[in-house]
Amino acid sequence: MDSSGEGSILPQEADGKRRYPVEFTATAGEYFRIWIVNLALTILTLGIYSAWAKVRKKRYFYGHTRIDGEGFEYRANPVAILKGRIIAVGLFSIYSLTQHFQPLLHLALAFVLAGAIPWLIVRSLMFNAYNSAYRNIRFHFRGNYGEIIKILFWYGLLAALTLGLMYPYMKSRLARFIMGNHRYGETRFEVGNLTRRYYAIYLKGLVLLVPTLIFLGILVAVGAPLLKGSKYAAVIFVILAFYGSLLPIFAYGQSRINNLIWNSTAMGPVHFESRLRARDLMGLYFTNIVAIVCTLGLAAPWAIVRTMRYRASKMTMVSTGALDHFVAAEAAQVSATGEEIGEMFDIDIGW
Amino acid sequence: MVTEFDAIYYDGKTSARIPVHARASGSVLLIAGANMNLEIALDRISADARIGDVRRTLSLPGGAQLQTDDHAALAVLFPQANRLEVWVHKLEQHRLYVVGAFVTIAVFSWWSMVYGVPLAAKTVTRWMPRQVETVLGDQSLASIDKTVCSPSGLPAGRQQQLRSGFSALTSGLDDRYSYRLEFRDCRRIGPNAFALPGGTIVITDSLIELATDDRQITAVLAHEIGHVRNRHGLRLVLQGAGAAALISTLAGDAVSITALAAALPTLLLETGYSREFETEADTYAFKRLKEIGLSPKYFADMLTRLQTAHSEKQKAADKSGNGRSENNRVFDYLSTHPDTAERIQRALDAQ
Repeated sequence: MDSSGEGSILPQEADGKRRYPVEFTATAGEYFRIWIVNLALTILTLGIYSAWAKVRKKRYFYGHTRIDGEGFEYRANPVAILKGRIIAVGLFSIYSLTQHFQPLLHLALAFVLAGAIPWLIVRSLMFNAYNSAYRNIRFHFRGNYGEIIKILFWYGLLAALTLGLMYPYMKSRLARFIMGNHRYGETRFEVGNLTRRYYAIYLKGLVLLVPTLIFLGILVAVGAPLLKGSKYAAVIFVILAFYGSLLPIFAYGQSRINNLIWNSTAMGPVHFESRLRARDLMGLYFTNIVAIVCTLGLAAPWAIVRTMRYRASKMTMVSTGALDHFVAAEAAQVSATGEEIGEMFDIDIGW
Repeated sequence: MVTEFDAIYYDGKTSARIPVHARASGSVLLIAGANMNLEIALDRISADARIGDVRRTLSLPGGAQLQTDDHAALAVLFPQANRLEVWVHKLEQHRLYVVGAFVTIAVFSWWSMVYGVPLAAKTVTRWMPRQVETVLGDQSLASIDKTVCSPSGLPAGRQQQLRSGFSALTSGLDDRYSYRLEFRDCRRIGPNAFALPGGTIVITDSLIELATDDRQITAVLAHEIGHVRNRHGLRLVLQGAGAAALISTLAGDAVSITALAAALPTLLLETGYSREFETEADTYAFKRLKEIGLSPKYFADMLTRLQTAHSEKQKAADKSGNGRSENNRVFDYLSTHPDTAERIQRALDAQ
């Protein structure tokens, strides 16, 4: 589905267009040091340092993501993140405890939380965009609550009622909502209509799902009797089989959706080209998992850096002019509470 | 003091990139570039924290920025910026500290898992009212009745007989729990007894059938009372939460790539924790049995009978099935109960 790009690589000055490849210059060795010191300080301070750790990590990755030689900046204030985290931990503790002691209250809280998801997503995107900058111009997110409520709840309900038939529609609208409400300074990100191509990707994914499920079925049918009577081996086996067989389909979906969204996006004089390949992602994820498990987690920084480097290497920004004319916008500061609650409850904000 | 460095100036209003030369002279910074000359007091400029070799940003009054790679010059000009993070940066740069961080993480997480989390759970339990356990216990009983157990087939007279043995155990206990013995027919669990938080103890019909002497049953009940008195149910819930929090902190980055890394240690931990609880409950049982004039030998007898019943069942399964006992043996050390032979020996030693 990555057909919307122009195909051939244009010389830099043809049509007055300039091509800016995205560079990712972080190194696994340096990130390993940052990561391990972050982790040590986080556990020694019983989690308080985690806010600073998050900012250092993001600043490192943002700074090493470069376009036209200039890096991005992550400007969030660790204290704001810490405040958000304290609120999130408090809410999460109440939520978890009521599960055992006050099931009715727990249910009520679950409803409140579900109702707050649109708010959490919008606040989180606002916080993240506001604290991201390039060339001293901040990004902004100005999504409308009414629209995301309609997408999540109304289209979500329709997706459930139509047994998933409307699900790709909901997801395509959500992706467009997220990408299309971002701005770089005053300049809007504009996204074309994604729905038709979303359906094409989901349809192909569905076709891929058939051999995947057959394979998983055979795996479990053969494996389960071998492990009878040993709960632990069985659990590990099922997890491995599940992830192993879903990896190709996951890589396919991720690469195609990611390419589609970026390739359909324009921002003023700029548009993007994303050329992720499913088989590359699959290889990366597979080797990452093996390396992480074999090193008891020590390979995690290496895995993250190489994955990000790959993703950056497949991304190009194409502009009809120099990047000197974007204009900053005024916007109020955003608190980190929404983002931190969302993270705590594992609410997925991506597309 | 004169320090000079090259930088890029961004005014914060547009993305225009202006190469400049900055020169510190006394307490001011002189910034010179094409068509611009600025003079700004050094104490009105704030430098961001250094992270690896990420380009540094100087925030100027009014929202403008200087970006530079000249780390050495900034170290001289703004040595006091972000004291905490200057220190963290030092940690990251020295191999010795990085190794130290690794050792800290290893030792601290090992200690927390083995001692810290159980200790914290025990301490927190002390502040929690017994009512909480009653609620927890009632819920567990309701869910057991719904899923695995049906009403007992034991005649009322026999139940009465066993209850009187039970009340000999519970009478005169000063722990303010209201103990209650419940009989259930739980074919799927086989011969077993379990203590629910708050004082309800469930015994299965097949355990009663397995016993050759009522004193063996009393011995098992004493063990279950040990679980209640030591508040193991509540502690297990809290330990689970604590361990999950610790693991998700440790796994952090890795988990977003693989859930397996988190699932495995949780499984192993639960096993370890319940082992410790069994030993604690055993110790209490031996003491209590002696108090009411019974020998812990009856506990050993019951365990022996349970073990025999278990291995017979295993043999039958192996014969009928596919001879997978190899696998079981490999995973046997993960089994919930501490080595039964060891427990039997402890009971005999306690006589």
